[in-house]
Amino acid sequence: MRPQVDRGGHAISGTRRLAPPWRYHFSQLLTRPTPPLWLGIMVAAALIVAETFVVQFLGRVGPRMTFGAVYLFGVLVISFGWGIGLAVTTTLVSAAVYLEVHLAADGGLLPDNLQNLIAIAIFVPIALLANVLGARARLRAAEARRAARQVSELARGQAALRRVATLVARGVSPTEIFTAVADEVANALEVGNATLFRYIGTDLGEIVAAYDDDPPKMPVGARLSLEGDNIAAMVQHTGATARMDSHERAAGSTAALIRDLGFRSGVGAPIVVDGRLWGAAIVGFSRLEPPPPDTEERLADFAELVATAVANAEARGELVASRARIVAAGDEVRRRIERDLHDGAQQRLVALGLRIRSIQASLPAGSDVDSQIADVADGLAAASEELRQISHGIHPAVLSQGGLRPALRALRRRAVMPVELHVDVERRLPESVEVATYYVVAEALTNAAKHARASQVTVTVQADDNRLHLEVEDDGVGGADPGGGSGLIGLKDRVEALGGRIFISSGASAGTTLAAEIPCAAL
Amino acid sequence: MHDRSTIGQTGSMQSKVEALRCVIVDDNRGFLDAAADFLGHHGITVVGIASTIAEALNCVGQKRPDVTIVDINLGDESGFELAEQLAGGPASSPVILTSTHSEQEFADMIAISPAVGFVAKVNLSPDGIRRLLASR
Repeated sequence: MRPQVDRGGHAISGTRRLAPPWRYHFSQLLTRPTPPLWLGIMVAAALIVAETFVVQFLGRVGPRMTFGAVYLFGVLVISFGWGIGLAVTTTLVSAAVYLEVHLAADGGLLPDNLQNLIAIAIFVPIALLANVLGARARLRAAEARRAARQVSELARGQAALRRVATLVARGVSPTEIFTAVADEVANALEVGNATLFRYIGTDLGEIVAAYDDDPPKMPVGARLSLEGDNIAAMVQHTGATARMDSHERAAGSTAALIRDLGFRSGVGAPIVVDGRLWGAAIVGFSRLEPPPPDTEERLADFAELVATAVANAEARGELVASRARIVAAGDEVRRRIERDLHDGAQQRLVALGLRIRSIQASLPAGSDVDSQIADVADGLAAASEELRQISHGIHPAVLSQGGLRPALRALRRRAVMPVELHVDVERRLPESVEVATYYVVAEALTNAAKHARASQVTVTVQADDNRLHLEVEDDGVGGADPGGGSGLIGLKDRVEALGGRIFISSGASAGTTLAAEIPCAAL
Repeated sequence: MHDRSTIGQTGSMQSKVEALRCVIVDDNRGFLDAAADFLGHHGITVVGIASTIAEALNCVGQKRPDVTIVDINLGDESGFELAEQLAGGPASSPVILTSTHSEQEFADMIAISPAVGFVAKVNLSPDGIRRLLASR
């Protein structure tokens, strides 16, 4: 499942939607890009003609020279809508028409009287000033537009980075993070393709995640040769960001593939995990113009998060593995001590016991050392039994010999209350899993008897190919505290060290249920 | 395989009942010697000893003992496995399992094995062996 990424929806458009419609249209008028020049000329011409008629009409109610301001309307419209060139032209044409059509109607072509001179002398500077103001307003608007776009891009980039960082912090699987990063990079950088690439050898890499505009082009898991000219190879050689503005004459099969897929240019950033080059984040562009200059920097931010995610996952993996190794090593040591005791001291004591009984048998009847020898024989037997118990406490021999089923049945026999036991395990499991299961059940049975005063316990253990599930349910008084000194905390550590989990539910009087789940895939 | 056919024939407490012929299978030499000596004193003739499944099958095939005493742990091999193999086939013999471990610990595995029974090493006794054989 690819996380759904909101494409194109961003902060700026959100606030625009909140503004009243009239304000929206007005700001559109000011900030929208310049319409085509021909449209400006037509608008200017139309306005001048219209203004001429208006002034003509107004001329009936007063001297036309007082209505020169009407022409300012067109000058203003053009000043704010189009470039300064057209605006000044409009000003001059307006002045000429004003002079020619209206003032000339009152007099000659040239301002032959002072009044006309004053009218023109007022109109032209004011109109030119309007031109300058219009040009400045347009410049500001363009700047504002650019700044808004930058802020919007920055905000989108930061939001995308934050989302990825949250995933990294939550410790979700690297695969999920890779996919999310590919999607977020494609969205934030507005590219058709974003790929995360992991280096396998000097000249080979694997795609670990990819975002593609339809149709998918870069299949996850595909391996690509890094021979020839391509961004992945450049990043691998330099350990730094790289760009190719064109793949036109690039050599190698990967470059040919990139051309075939319709990409013209691309940018890559290294993913460096604990000082070693792990892979690269690469974006592909199909458009003609080269990628924007800040692409490297923005891509590198994402690459850094990927590196952190990989480092975290590796560290976590190492931690889990090392905990499991410690537990396995501990089990192995205990098993060996038990074995050594069994093969050494225990056998020796048993043999000594037999020897002393042989001596006893060969003594003449009624010998006065008979009872002393009998004492020694009894003492040896007692020592043997003590050693047997110690050795059993170190490691249950039946577990290594027969596996979980007979070992759990031995536990059931030792229990002080009736135990219903269901074991559905068809194969021998890794030793540490068997040992952990045995001790969890043993501890749960002890607790059920000692703390919960249960009269009946049900133990269910089943294993499929990947996981072992166990459940110990009693009908006792409940109230088990996993954090208490009940030995549960040690079991929790042991189970978690194997990558498993343990759950305890213990109501006030509803009995206690202890459940655990342990990965048990064959090693 | 080791030939022990002479051991125990001169025991001082020769039982009135017919002497049993026995093979002991254990990977611990000290126990083998002590057990052969002990049983010999009590009218059980140890006709052979073995430490591995292969040796045991060979020995039982040749000696045809009345009973084979088999340790549950034979190093890397299992006494239960040997008991299975001695239950039928060319070299067969009644099997009594033994161990330094308690019977309780291995009760289930003993129950499903074809062995006639179990006697703990500390409790090894001719009477016990005879009783188990008689209970078949």
